Amino acid sequence: MSKEIIVRVFDVVGGPLCVSADDGQAVHDKIVPLLREDSKVALSFGNVETLISAFLNAAIGQLYGEFPEDKIRALLSVRDMSQEDLALLKRVVDNAKVYFLNRKQFDQAWKEEVGDEE
Amino acid sequence: MIHYLPTIRSQEQGFTNLAILAVEAKELTSSRLEVDFSRCGFFDANMAAPLAAILARVADAFNAVTVVNVPSAIERILRKNRFLAGYGYAPMDDANRTTLPFRRIQLSEQGLFADYLEQHMNGKGIPRMTEGLGKVFRQSIFEVFQNTVIHSASPFGAFVCGQFYPQYQRLDLTISDAGVGIRTNVRRYLGQAISSVEAIRWALQDGNTTKTGSQPGGVGLKFLHDFVALNQGKIQIASRLGFYEYRDGKETFKKLAADFPGTTVNLEINTGDTSAYRLNSEITAKDIF
Repeated sequence: MSKEIIVRVFDVVGGPLCVSADDGQAVHDKIVPLLREDSKVALSFGNVETLISAFLNAAIGQLYGEFPEDKIRALLSVRDMSQEDLALLKRVVDNAKVYFLNRKQFDQAWKEEVGDEE
Repeated sequence: MIHYLPTIRSQEQGFTNLAILAVEAKELTSSRLEVDFSRCGFFDANMAAPLAAILARVADAFNAVTVVNVPSAIERILRKNRFLAGYGYAPMDDANRTTLPFRRIQLSEQGLFADYLEQHMNGKGIPRMTEGLGKVFRQSIFEVFQNTVIHSASPFGAFVCGQFYPQYQRLDLTISDAGVGIRTNVRRYLGQAISSVEAIRWALQDGNTTKTGSQPGGVGLKFLHDFVALNQGKIQIASRLGFYEYRDGKETFKKLAADFPGTTVNLEINTGDTSAYRLNSEITAKDIF
């Protein structure tokens, strides 16, 4: 197994605010090639001040649509996170597992709006 | 046309009154809208955000919008928060620093929203919240803003405004958009003609999201709700014919009497809250995945 690679969220985002899905996507895109080559990745949240679910959904949540749960558990870890942020991440991860379990029906879901009456 | 705006408080009736303005001005094009405040007894400062969103739609239809006969007390509030600056009134200095000024932010300029909070939330008499509360409040605001970015499809961006009431230790922050509203997104997703109220109810349930792509969703609104419950604050959502309020542990869903365009979220926090905001302390980094 290769050496653990530390991905510093602060550096990828370019600041302490992790508050947009776009920035989360940038972190995701940094992690994915590493996971594909079976590298261990430690995601450091050092110096991050504000973190929201939309960011975590993009950065980490969507990995559950791309990799098996076992692989994520084996290769990915997080560090330098406060208790509250860990709790939020846990919520995002649990939600992502359910989201992708039902993915098929979600994918088929987008339809034209039905009428304009209440 | 002349529209006499009645009293606008941050309550169901206030949102209804703004919706009536939107409905009356809906078909107006290449004309003139005069918003006459002479019958307005009171105007909650944060409601400048939804009013501005409605007026932006009217202006987009090539109408000239003017604001007239504003009673002096209301004029002072709306000049301090700079809403009236867009209608030819000189801004007024906010000496007590209790205002989070009105600002319109394009959805493509998300960084400006962070700058706005940085500039107006820190210091300046805006509440000295405990560190934990400040952090969760900030998170909540960004969750609301990001929801607007992801879901609203608002062609005119987001309209933001806030007010601190030191005597009550309450801070209101309101984000409005001129987008499609919650109902349209939920209807498209479910393929059912559910009402605005039911659409809001659906969107508030943990795990429910109208997102269908590779990024999951459905955590943000629940996070907000849990925060407001702990903080004993208030959350209001007005979207199309639906109105939702959560305060004092009680949820209210109401059908509005008129069609309120887009979505407005008002967060009111109790700034005197000294709760620790350290939850789920049993979770460790090893338990996440």
